[in-house]
Amino acid sequence: MSSGTGTHVSFRERTETPFEGEVDYVVVGSGAGGAAAASVLVRAGASVALIEAGAWREPEQYPSSAYGGMRDLMDDWGAQIAMGRALWPIVQARTMGGTTVINSAICVRTPADVFDRWEKEFGIGRTGGKGRLADRVWKHQDDLERELSVEEVPPDARGRSNVLAMKGAAAIGYDSHYMKRYVKGCVGSGQCLQGCRKLKKQSTNVVWVPEVLERGGLVLSSAPVSKVLFEGRRAIGVEGRFDHPRTHRAGSVFRVKAKKAVIVAASVTHSAVLLQKSGVKSKSLGRFFRAHPGTGVFGCYDEPVDQNTGATQGWASTAFRNEPGLKLETLHIPLELVASRFAGGGMELMDRLSRYRHIAMWCHSVRAESVGTVRAGFLGKPMVRYGLDAADMLKFREGMYLLAKTHVAAGAKSVLPGISGLPFEMKADEIERIRTGPTDPRAYIAILSHLFGGAVMGASPDTSVTDGSGRVHGYEGLVVADASVIPSVLGVNPQHTIMALARCFAEDLLAS
Amino acid sequence: MLWLVRSAMVAFYPRTEALPGIADTGIDPFLRQFRSETTFMMWLGVVLAALLFHFTPLFTVFVPLPAFFLPASLRDKHARKIGNTNLYLVKQAMLILKLPAGLCWGRDPEVRKRFAMAAYAPDPDVWRTS
Repeated sequence: MSSGTGTHVSFRERTETPFEGEVDYVVVGSGAGGAAAASVLVRAGASVALIEAGAWREPEQYPSSAYGGMRDLMDDWGAQIAMGRALWPIVQARTMGGTTVINSAICVRTPADVFDRWEKEFGIGRTGGKGRLADRVWKHQDDLERELSVEEVPPDARGRSNVLAMKGAAAIGYDSHYMKRYVKGCVGSGQCLQGCRKLKKQSTNVVWVPEVLERGGLVLSSAPVSKVLFEGRRAIGVEGRFDHPRTHRAGSVFRVKAKKAVIVAASVTHSAVLLQKSGVKSKSLGRFFRAHPGTGVFGCYDEPVDQNTGATQGWASTAFRNEPGLKLETLHIPLELVASRFAGGGMELMDRLSRYRHIAMWCHSVRAESVGTVRAGFLGKPMVRYGLDAADMLKFREGMYLLAKTHVAAGAKSVLPGISGLPFEMKADEIERIRTGPTDPRAYIAILSHLFGGAVMGASPDTSVTDGSGRVHGYEGLVVADASVIPSVLGVNPQHTIMALARCFAEDLLAS
Repeated sequence: MLWLVRSAMVAFYPRTEALPGIADTGIDPFLRQFRSETTFMMWLGVVLAALLFHFTPLFTVFVPLPAFFLPASLRDKHARKIGNTNLYLVKQAMLILKLPAGLCWGRDPEVRKRFAMAAYAPDPDVWRTS
């Protein structure tokens, strides 16, 4: 099917002839990394195939309900779990546009200390013969902010929860701000997590995937790649089978050859596993998995907060990024998910739920230094092993206290911390108890939302999978261009960094 | 197994004076839809969690009967106690049960109206094919 001068191929039945194609560059994954790289390549006149495991839904085809969001947009219904002392879900999308469709499009520039650490610990300083990586990334971030219409959450779209958070932070006296996001003219419909049906969020399926088609590219949807193909040590293409978006029955085979390179950007959990299943040999493959684990604290207010109105995430503070090492944000959680987040059952649970209009959820994400692994597990699906060490759990717990304190400063009459072993509801004068609460991760209901590593970059093939341009050590024509290459946590939302890095890698490919 | 899952979900989300219960929100078609659309592992988890719910009243309300045989007040007490447990695996199992139940209950137009929220438009359930 042609659009512009390009071609989009969606699910094909098993009985149909295998799909074959040949391009200069095959990009696996259409999220922040893959689509950013593809946009650079097509603008340079290269022929590109962008291959996405999930279906392609236009904004008007996004689901409305949280049920539809989990079914249509999430990877495995959001049921992917990090195995450790506690079982914490991993939030990733599986749809055209990847996680940029379901996140809050938060735009934060890569902090300078991140590059200093990469240079010192991993030997990543100057890349592609084009100068310091930091300068290149920041230059791309300047461009991205213009291209994707980055703006601060407008006053009319803030909603009461974001305004309360700002008030609470100001009362305590720490720096905070309304977020800058890749959103053009937000109307505060509170549906970021189910995809923005108002067409305001500049997710990659809205901006760059159509551009790939317009510039003559090939786009495959519902097409999970199962293997990278090699001739010797040179990547020459990919293959897989189409996957029906609803029934997940296997369709026909697709095989796309790459004359120049294969760029893997299938997400932190899938990229490393795809390389493993394709036979790539590297001691570091699947290692150095990291994350920003996080959870939320509810504040209970006298007046309705109606957290479902306004930007889903509109306020943040990086004041605690270095000490104790975390970021604070608002996060409006749909009623459907609050119901499962609350402890209790029966009449007691219903009584707790009846207060939904009066509660606001704010969350933290911890700059955790703990390290895990990602490997192919049962039926070849990614299996993440990850747990927080004692030092990270102290940060985690302190973050919950800071959230509770901010709620109280904003006028909350009580907080609901959701910590096993502590009361369900705590009055303002009780929140100090959080600081001596449990440090066992099993006492908390948390998620991993920002993932890093599994195919990290570095100067040495002994301790990394790729070089500073994303090229897999020891192979030709094979590049990783998503958060898998990031060798440390950032302490801020990663999408801006992923996009800029992917653009640097694509430039380096063109230059080579 | 549907009745077993349904019964556990109804115990967790009963009707109150202020709010409709999950039994009022189309749980039967929801469960059929959920069973057909979700992953095998997710459905298995929900069924195992429902079994755990039904066969543990001995440890919560000290009655050696499955929860579906308990009188309503005792079943509610069982739901409250198991829903507040600090035993990690039991807590996780109840979360797996409460998650899809919440997806059903919270999308209901009448429930949303009680919280001053507009009803959801139908999920389009379509994708781009060209």
